[in-house]
Amino acid sequence: MRTFISDCQRATLLIERRADQQLPLAERMQLWAHLRLCAYCRRYAVQSPALARAARLAAQAPSTAQLPPDFAAQLQRRLDEPG
Amino acid sequence: MALLVPEPAQWLARYGDELYRYALSRVASAEEAQELVQDTLCSALDALASFRGEASERTWLFVILRRKVVDFYRRQARSPFVPLPVLPEQDPEAEFFQPATGHWQPGQGPADWAAPSDEDALEQQEFQAVLRSCQQRLSPQHGAVFVLRFAEELSAEEICAALQLTAANYWVIVHRLKLHLRRCLEKNWFGSTLRS
Repeated sequence: MRTFISDCQRATLLIERRADQQLPLAERMQLWAHLRLCAYCRRYAVQSPALARAARLAAQAPSTAQLPPDFAAQLQRRLDEPG
Repeated sequence: MALLVPEPAQWLARYGDELYRYALSRVASAEEAQELVQDTLCSALDALASFRGEASERTWLFVILRRKVVDFYRRQARSPFVPLPVLPEQDPEAEFFQPATGHWQPGQGPADWAAPSDEDALEQQEFQAVLRSCQQRLSPQHGAVFVLRFAEELSAEEICAALQLTAANYWVIVHRLKLHLRRCLEKNWFGSTLRS
């Protein structure tokens, strides 16, 4: 039988929701109880926000890309003669 | 204090590459990124009259570009090539969790990332390259949610509105894309040192 206390699928879903909103008290307690027992989900709880931070960093990573000159020249013409 | 007057002829020289890099970090291809920059500058031209000089020109252009990124994913989410949103009751996580118990499937439980790769590793360039390649393997819908949530940092509410998702679907998608991403990372980054 599927009970919350051993339900890693539900626990990890709550971990994701928790990052965005405060969980209702009952769910917070269920999650707390689950995390006491489940080492895998404790790992998940640590790694999940780390992954979010990494994604943020990757999106901000310095880049040296430049607009292709042809494309930029074409755009520049449009900006020079608005209307 | 004098209000700033926009100078469209200078936009490309001043902000062109910066806008392009931002766009590139949010969509998969150079062509898509160029199109976003073009749309942004065209919209800005059309809206010149509404530019009040209160924010800097640069800030204003980036606000428009961010909106274009959201529009891009909104269109993508509506494209017929994108599978319909998964329903929670379809239990799409069955490949990660045992349907009967909700326990992790054997071998799918989170591996210990701690070993060679502490927090610092997440900032390394090579790691970020692997993360980008894993990100590109996500389905279009998962990719859209990933960028809007983790790069643009929109709220759940904003993303649901943009992509026309219910809250329940949204959380299932976030959950599932995180599971896919972590599996990809464990295989391509952590795995090489973890399970040797």
